[in-house]
Amino acid sequence: MSDARSRLARQRTQEPEPWIGRYSTSRSFDTGAEVSLRCVSGNPSPAPAIPALEARSLGRRFGAVCALAELDLRIEAGEGFALLGANGAGKTTFLRLAAGLLVPSTGELRVAGQCPSRHPERVRRVLGFAMETSRLQPALRVESFLRFAAAARGMPRAAARRAVERVVAETGLGDVLRRAIGHCSRGYQQRVALAQALIGEPSVLLVDEPGAGLDPAQRLELWQLLAGLRGARTLVISTHDLEEARRLADRAAVLSQGRLRAQGPVGELLRDPAPLSLFRSGAGA
Amino acid sequence: MRPFLALLRLELLQLFSQPAAYLALSGVAAITALLFFDHLRLYNQLLFVYATTTLGGFSADTIPDHVNLWDQVFFPVAEQLGITWLAALPLVTMRAFAEERARGSDELLLCAGVGPGALVLAKFAVGLCFALLLVAVSFVYPATAIARGGLGASHLAAVFLGLSLHAIAVASLGLACSAFTQSQLVAAVAGWASAFVLWDFSWAYPFVSERAAGFLDALSLHPRYSAFAEGSVELGHAVYFAAVAAVCAALARLSFDLRRAGG
Repeated sequence: MSDARSRLARQRTQEPEPWIGRYSTSRSFDTGAEVSLRCVSGNPSPAPAIPALEARSLGRRFGAVCALAELDLRIEAGEGFALLGANGAGKTTFLRLAAGLLVPSTGELRVAGQCPSRHPERVRRVLGFAMETSRLQPALRVESFLRFAAAARGMPRAAARRAVERVVAETGLGDVLRRAIGHCSRGYQQRVALAQALIGEPSVLLVDEPGAGLDPAQRLELWQLLAGLRGARTLVISTHDLEEARRLADRAAVLSQGRLRAQGPVGELLRDPAPLSLFRSGAGA
Repeated sequence: MRPFLALLRLELLQLFSQPAAYLALSGVAAITALLFFDHLRLYNQLLFVYATTTLGGFSADTIPDHVNLWDQVFFPVAEQLGITWLAALPLVTMRAFAEERARGSDELLLCAGVGPGALVLAKFAVGLCFALLLVAVSFVYPATAIARGGLGASHLAAVFLGLSLHAIAVASLGLACSAFTQSQLVAAVAGWASAFVLWDFSWAYPFVSERAAGFLDALSLHPRYSAFAEGSVELGHAVYFAAVAAVCAALARLSFDLRRAGG
């Protein structure tokens, strides 16, 4: 009786079943393995996998400005996904909504089954967000900053040291570990942002304009790095760069003026001039 | 607890890795020295005038009671230090939240796993500790005056407690103002305005009823600070200063929710 009551209460508050929370933090999510939605009630029939990100009629206004409207999007676990659009199209707003930094004005968004507006701390356990490099702490050394990022996630000292060593190896930051972030090149700063996002071993990685401001060689190196990270986790990037989207994503969505204009496999999308004309003309700016 | 401690360490590292902190400490030490020695000089001149015009010498009874180190040097310095904090502390606290908000680095901290509550607590802890450090620096000369003037350790402790609580309240007002804006200038001006308004409501007494005047008097910083400066320690006054700090911290926490909802 009490089980039924608690299930009913969860449905009313749109809370996920308890196993969803366990699942979302477990390693099995990384592989995108399917999980039975009815395992609690004992019915073994399979159900669809929980998407990494799912938006339904998602909208966000900033006063009179509509940054995002009626966005329906589903990004599967393990997928590489690119949000394409001109400046002001709503790409970063979508990423900030996914990270729980903003609350939607309308609609709903779920990240690994969790609602970021209601439970941002739960979402941030499974999500890493590599933001623009200008948001880093320029006066801190790379090592101090990464150690802080590990401690901020509640890791004990030994685990934090191992996590820092792991992300330093993954992102190739060994040479600049003792350098102040503000004194690193743009390419290394982008890697620091990425290393910070990876430190909690997230199953969903959001990267805001990864190649912005990098020279061609740095951009190529970063793409290789991100491509190597993709297999283990869901990668969502926002970008203006079609080549970046082609290299890093399986599917893409074109946003313009806060609205979804097209979505599909990157190859098909890049061949079709209709939705891309919106993007090229900067209609979303 | 671990994220909070990590953030505390980060905030301290950031604060003391920039020259602004050392400039503030030096500036406060210089202003206090200037205030103290200026009053000491006037006091010495007054003593000299009495000693020479009454021909009684420095140790005679011809010097009136009110011409003493406490009334002529220490009390005016303590009063002026209270006003100095109103002017100086918003300049120290204006950066705390506003700079991070303008750069967007507070969002990065939130994504790194730090909760907004821990972020506010860490910023308040570091901001208030720095305010106390400034008080300690500014207190060297007045403390010397009290010790030399024979006012006693209990009086010294009461004055130091009053200065510290006053600095905590004013710094909290500055931090709360900083949490609601991206502009350091706006944060500083709002901090000054709120601190000066809260300093003393006696200007409003002619315009309000007696009951309202009593209420405004209870809200004023100045009468409570003066009580400490005179050597009187009352729990109610200490609770008042702590309540100002707590309300400001709650407002700063609220600013994060408002920002999530409003952008």
